[in-house]
Amino acid sequence: MIDHSAPGDVIRLDGVTKTYQSDGPPALAEVSMGVAAGEVVAIMGPSGSGKSTLLNLIAGLDRPSAGTVTVAGRRIDALGEGALARFRARHVGIIFQFFNLLDDLTVEDNVLLPAQLAGASRRQARARATELLARMGIEEYRDTYPARMSGGQRQRVAIARALVNQPAVLLADEPTGALDTATGQDIGRLLRELNQGGQTLVLVTHDPDLAERYAARTVRIVDGRLDGVGAGVLR
Amino acid sequence: MSSWPRVSWFAAVRTATGGMLRHKVQAVVLGMVLLVATASATLGFALLAANDGPFIRAFNAQDGAHLIVTVNPARASSGQLAATRTLHGVTAMAGPFGEATVQSAWQGQPFGQLTLVGRSSPGGPVDDVVLNAGRWASGPGQIVLNNTAGGGGPVVGSKIIVTGLPRAVILTVVGFASSITNTADGWVAPAEVASLQAPGAAPSAQLMYRFASAGTAAQVSADLAEVTGALPPGAVTGAGSWLTAESQNTGNGAIMEPFVVAFALIGLIMAVLIVANVVSGAVAAGYYRIGVLKSIGLTPAQVVLAYLSRVGVPALAGCVLGVVAGNLLAIPVLHQSADAYGVGSQSVPLWASVAAPAGMLVLTVLAAFGPALRAGRLSATQAIAAGRAPNAGRGYAAYRLAARLRLPRPVGMGLAAPFARPARTLVSLAAIAFGATAVIFAFGLSASLSRAAGIQTLSATVPVEIQQDGPGGGPNQIPTAQQDAAVTAALNGELDTAHQTLVYENQLKVTGMSGTANVTAFSGDSAWIGYGVIAGHWYDGPGQVDVNTAFLNASGLAIGDTTTIDTGTAQVTVRIVGEVFHPSSEPAVYGSTQTLPGLATPANAQQWDVGLRPGTKTSEYVEAVNSVLGRSSPWGATTRKDGGKFYAVAVSLVGLLALMVAIAAGLGVLNTVLMTTRDRVHDLGIFKALGMRPGQMLTMVVCWIVGPAVLAAAIAAPVAVALNTATVHAMAATAHTGIPASITEVFPPGRLALLSLAALAIAVAGALAPAAWAARARPAVALRTE
Repeated sequence: MIDHSAPGDVIRLDGVTKTYQSDGPPALAEVSMGVAAGEVVAIMGPSGSGKSTLLNLIAGLDRPSAGTVTVAGRRIDALGEGALARFRARHVGIIFQFFNLLDDLTVEDNVLLPAQLAGASRRQARARATELLARMGIEEYRDTYPARMSGGQRQRVAIARALVNQPAVLLADEPTGALDTATGQDIGRLLRELNQGGQTLVLVTHDPDLAERYAARTVRIVDGRLDGVGAGVLR
Repeated sequence: MSSWPRVSWFAAVRTATGGMLRHKVQAVVLGMVLLVATASATLGFALLAANDGPFIRAFNAQDGAHLIVTVNPARASSGQLAATRTLHGVTAMAGPFGEATVQSAWQGQPFGQLTLVGRSSPGGPVDDVVLNAGRWASGPGQIVLNNTAGGGGPVVGSKIIVTGLPRAVILTVVGFASSITNTADGWVAPAEVASLQAPGAAPSAQLMYRFASAGTAAQVSADLAEVTGALPPGAVTGAGSWLTAESQNTGNGAIMEPFVVAFALIGLIMAVLIVANVVSGAVAAGYYRIGVLKSIGLTPAQVVLAYLSRVGVPALAGCVLGVVAGNLLAIPVLHQSADAYGVGSQSVPLWASVAAPAGMLVLTVLAAFGPALRAGRLSATQAIAAGRAPNAGRGYAAYRLAARLRLPRPVGMGLAAPFARPARTLVSLAAIAFGATAVIFAFGLSASLSRAAGIQTLSATVPVEIQQDGPGGGPNQIPTAQQDAAVTAALNGELDTAHQTLVYENQLKVTGMSGTANVTAFSGDSAWIGYGVIAGHWYDGPGQVDVNTAFLNASGLAIGDTTTIDTGTAQVTVRIVGEVFHPSSEPAVYGSTQTLPGLATPANAQQWDVGLRPGTKTSEYVEAVNSVLGRSSPWGATTRKDGGKFYAVAVSLVGLLALMVAIAAGLGVLNTVLMTTRDRVHDLGIFKALGMRPGQMLTMVVCWIVGPAVLAAAIAAPVAVALNTATVHAMAATAHTGIPASITEVFPPGRLALLSLAALAIAVAGALAPAAWAARARPAVALRTE
C-alpha cells in the first residue's frame, strides 16, 4: 500500500476502500494519501479508475466502506448526513465537469445559494458574491440565467459558487472536460491564480497537460489503487 | 431477403412489466388510489342502492304484513280465524299468534311496555322476521327482542323481568330480530304467552295478512273491514297498517341521499383527476425508455399496449382490492343503515360490485390512452430527447421573486417550485381542494346533524321524561288525576328539578285543511324546552301557536296568519307565530293548554318534560323520582334518548366517506411530489453537494406543495360551507321541513380557519414520504441518477 499522506495535511485518507456491490471489485482499494494546505494535487487515471469516487469521498458526498477520511482537521467518514452537509457547506467547494448550475436560478442566486444554505447573513453573502463575480469577470451576467451563457462563463459561475463560503478545500472534477481548449486553459489559469492565493485544490482530470501545467503534484490511480509511478511528488 | 423475427405482443407486455417493477412506488400509488376510489365508489353505489326505496324492497323481501289484526280468540273459533285466509283479496296470512302486553324492567329500571308475540320460528308466509343476532326462542324463559343489541341496551344473555304479574317472570334475551312492520316488541315461544297474561285479562292473538290491494289507506281500511266482517262482533280488538311503518321509514332513507351523492361526486371527480395525473406522469417519466424500446424495434401499437399494460396491472390490482374493501366497509355501514331504516338487512348489490371496479378501470384506461398514444407516435429520437431534457424556462420569475423574499432559502425555493410545473400543480391543487372540501364538509355536516339531532330530540334541554311505562301501568290504562298529581308532587319535591312541564298530545282539525294535525299542548312554561324555531318565535302569549313546516305546506298559511282550530271540545282562533323544526310529513301544532282548551285531559297526558339543575346526574335523578313514585304508579322516569339512530348512521357515514376522500387526496399529493422529486433528483443532488442539510431538504420538498395547499384551503373553505348549506337544505326538504338557521351556522370564522388546515394536513401528509426519501438520499447517488 502506498501512503501519500503526512502529518498536517488538510486532506488525509487512510486505508480507504469503497465498494459499491458486495460481490464486485472495489472502486477504491486501501487508498492512503494526503494533501497539504495550499497545495494543488491532480488525480489522474483512466475512465472507471476511481477518480470521481475518490473525489466524492473527500467531498463527503459518499462514505467509504472502510478506512478514514479527514478533511480540514475533521474525520468525515463517520459523520451523519446533516453534519456532512454542514461540513460541505463550510469547508468544501466543488466544481463539476458539467457545471451543475441550477437553471432556474440567476447567476447571482446560484452563487449565493451555498452561503444562504450555510446561514450566512444576506448582506455578507451578497458582498462576497459580488466580489467573486467581479473576480471571475462575469459581474455583468449576475441577473442572467446559466442557460444563456457560454461553457466557460458557466464554469466561472460554478467556481464562484464553490468559493462563496471560502472553503478550506476546492475540489474540481474534470473542470475543463466540457470546454474547448482555449476556454479550458483560461479556467486552468484561473484555478492556478486561486491556488497562488493560498487555496488548496484537488483536481481530477484525465488531461495530462492540465495536470502537468497547473498541478504541483499528480497522483495516479488505476483500478482503484494508487499507482506508485507518476509525475509529481509522492509523499 | 431474410426477415427479422417479429417482436411479440407478449414481449411488449413483459417489457412494460419490467418498467413497472422499476417504478414500484408509482405502481403502488396508482394501485392505492384506485383501491380507495373503487372502495369509495362501491360504498357509494351500495348506499345509493340502499337508499333507493329500502323500505319497499325490504318489505317485499320479508313478505311484510299489510295488515296486523289483533283479535280476542275467545270471541272467534280457530276455524273462523283460519277461514279469513280465503277472504277476497287476501294473498297470504299468518297466525293466529298468541300475544301479551306486559310491563317490564331491566337492570332494576322500567323497560317499558312490551307487546310479546308467541312464534315458534321467525319465518312464515307473512312477516318473515330477520334474526340479527343470537337465536330464536325455543323454550320457556327466552325472548327475542325486536331491535339490535348494544347501544347501552340489553344484549344476548340480558334478563328482562316481566312485572305486573302475580309472580315476576324472568326472560333471558337469546336473540335480536327485526320485523319490517314492527309486529312485536319481542317474541317468545308460543307456550310462554299464557304465563305472561295478567290474571283476568282478555286473551289476545295476532293475525297478519298480505292483500292484493293495500297501496293506500283506503284500501287497507277496506281490507280491515273485510276481515272484521268475517269474524264475530267484538273479535277484532285492534289493527295496524303497514303504511304507518312505511311513512316512518321512507323519510330517513331519502334524507341520506343528498350527502351520499355529494361525497360520491367529490370522490369520483378526484379519483379521475388523480388517476389521469398518475398515468400521464408514468408515461411521461418513461419517455426515455420508450425511445430505447422503439430503437430496438417495438412498433407504435406495441408501445401503446406496453404502457396501457404498465398502468393496467396495478390499476387492476387496485380495483379488485378496492371492490373487496368497499364490500367490507359496506357491511357495517349497511347494517347500521338497515337498522336505522328498520329494514332488517341490506347488502351490496352485485351490480355495484361490478360497476365500481369496471368503471374505475375504464376511466384509468381512458386516462392512460392519450399519453400512451402520444408515446406510440413519438419517434425514437424524439422520445429519448424528451425523456432526457428537463422542461426549461418555466417558473424562473417565481424563483427570482422567492430569492428576494426574506425567507429561509429552502422555503423560498420550495414555494417557487410549483410554478415550474403548472399543470401538475393544478392537479395537486385540485386534489387537495377536493380532499379539504370533503373534510371541512364532513365536519360541518356532522355538526349540523348533531345540532339537528339535539333540536329534534331535545336531549340537551330535556334530559328526563316521565312516561307511562311505570311498573303500575298496563295496556289501555289511563292514569288517574291523583296519579298525575303524584308525579307533579314528586317532581316538585326533587331539589334538582329546574323545569317540569306536562305535555298533552292528540289530534285536531284545522279549518280549511283536510285531515287532522297532531297537536302538542303544554301545561305550563314551555319556552325552556328549546324547540328549534325556523322562523318567527316560540309562542309567548294566549292565542298563539307554533306549527311545523308540513302544517304550513298543507294549510297554505304563513306565520302571522290566524286560523280556526277545532280541539274536539272547542273551536278557537289562533295566530301562527312561529315555524318549528319538526321533520315529518304530518302537520303539527304546538301551543299552551290555555290556548288549546279541552286537550288537558288525563287521556291526552303524554309525558312530563323535565329540565335539571346544572350538575345533576341524570341517572341518579331518574332513580330518585322512580323511588318516590313507587311500584304502583303507571308513570316512570326515563332518560331521554339522544341523537337517534339515523343521525348516528349519518355521522359515521360522513366520517368514513370524508376519510376515504382525504386518503385519496393524500395519495394524489404523494404521487405528484414523487414525480417532481424524480424529475428533479439531479437538482436535489446539487443542493446536497452545496451543503443543503436533510432538514432543509425536507422543508424545501414539503414547501413544494404548501403554496397549492394554501390556495386549495382558500377554495375549499367557502365551497364546503356552501355545499354544507345546500346539502342540509336538500336533506331538510326531503324530510318535509325547513331548518333553523343555527343548523347551518356551524362554521364560525375560527373553526373554519382551523378546519381549512385540513388542506395543509393532506398536503404535508402526502408530501412527507417523498420528502423524507429526498432528504435521506446520498448526494453522490442523486448526482448520478437522472
